[in-house]
Amino acid sequence: MTTDVQMTVNGARHRVAVADDDLLLDVLRRLGITSVREGCGVGACGACTVLAEDHSVSSCLARAVRYDGVPLTTADGLAEDDDVVEEFVAAGAMQCGYCIPGFVLMGHELLAQNPAPTREEIAAHLEGNICRCGTYQEICSAIEATARRRQAENERRSA
Amino acid sequence: MTAEMAAPLGAPTLHRPDTLDEVCALLGSLDQAMVYGGGTAVQILIKQGVLFASDLVDLSLVPDLDGIERTDTGLRVGAMVSLRRMETDPVVRRIVPLAAQVYGHVANPRVRNTASVGGNLAHGDYRLDPPTALMVLGARVELRSSAGVRHVPVRDFFVGFQETAVAPGELVTAVEIPAQTGSSSGFAKLSSQSVNDWPCASAAALVTSPVQGQRELRLGLGALAEVPKYVSVDVPSDAGVADAVRLGQEAAGPVIDPIPDIRGGADFKRRLGLVAVEDAIRAAWGSTGGTETGAAGRSTGKEGSDARRNSRRRWWRSR
Repeated sequence: MTTDVQMTVNGARHRVAVADDDLLLDVLRRLGITSVREGCGVGACGACTVLAEDHSVSSCLARAVRYDGVPLTTADGLAEDDDVVEEFVAAGAMQCGYCIPGFVLMGHELLAQNPAPTREEIAAHLEGNICRCGTYQEICSAIEATARRRQAENERRSA
Repeated sequence: MTAEMAAPLGAPTLHRPDTLDEVCALLGSLDQAMVYGGGTAVQILIKQGVLFASDLVDLSLVPDLDGIERTDTGLRVGAMVSLRRMETDPVVRRIVPLAAQVYGHVANPRVRNTASVGGNLAHGDYRLDPPTALMVLGARVELRSSAGVRHVPVRDFFVGFQETAVAPGELVTAVEIPAQTGSSSGFAKLSSQSVNDWPCASAAALVTSPVQGQRELRLGLGALAEVPKYVSVDVPSDAGVADAVRLGQEAAGPVIDPIPDIRGGADFKRRLGLVAVEDAIRAAWGSTGGTETGAAGRSTGKEGSDARRNSRRRWWRSR
């Protein structure tokens, strides 16, 4: 069966006809959102991560029909001066970049739930994301740096 | 759920009912229907071409399946509550800390955001983490069909390899977990591949508060036989941790019957299983607090990489 759904991605609304077994990953890529990538296809690598109402989801295991009207965020919808992205750049956390959108979104989810994570908590939250270039240390440092930066901004604002 | 060995049937038809009665009617009338909860496991099985179902019955539009209720005896957790919520919800962490701890070990945070409590149990895999905790806590599964509701203790729920007590026409609607009052607990998950892989061996231990000079030591074992296994043994209240470990390992040993695979041979897993039992008991015994009684349930775990590293070191030393 085909259903007309509203995909709400980065604030933009798209009316799309989706088949019952269409995966969210494939529907998003058909919309031209290519920061969402297929890696392992079984929810273990994180390359296809999207945020659905601020919760990370493996779009390779999600049926699109279930996300009718659900606000979705993908990495390419983040602001030009997104703090997590800037800290990834500053830390040299990207090499080939294939996995990075997933790591950035996992970083956003973690910092929303835990503004001051320890290095162990960062590693635990990222345990389902794989970087074949192996920049894990830099990725963890970038998330730590974002947490420090947000804390400093908050202190400045309340001063 | 039984894995009927039929030929793959092509893409299963998706049904999206919005009442529980409709779900039961569909499950009762369709030939090879499977419940679609969080969908993480079902979707992987479809991709692997090993899902034998003609129809999928999606629960996401059915109201009232995603609540966590405080009851007289503990918690009633709806089948569609996510594993991540079990890990993070303050009420779950307070009432059944062992369950919160163990749910936090399943797969990765993204899968836990989507996977459901009911689907996780119905999946029926012998390596699942949650049953180890639910068995020692004495939880029971609520099953519903058009004929009504029945309850099955988690200890009796896994009846064979990838096979559960869910009968044709039934679905899991909730899990009832007694409050973890006055007991202490621990959990150990040992992986021979990546840390978020299926365990090679896992164990949950729960030590009850003393009654007439005895504590009950309960053990739930994962990945160590064709189904999750449960054993219990009485331990004198004044026993030291070494005695508790010995008694626990003696009780667990006979039920450990591992399936050899890429994660390790049977001997390796049997040995690692006893290490997991020891780690879980030490974590639980460490917080029994001697003569202290009536303390709120506590859950301590040798969690994370240190525990894993230490276990592995101990295993290599003892070879």
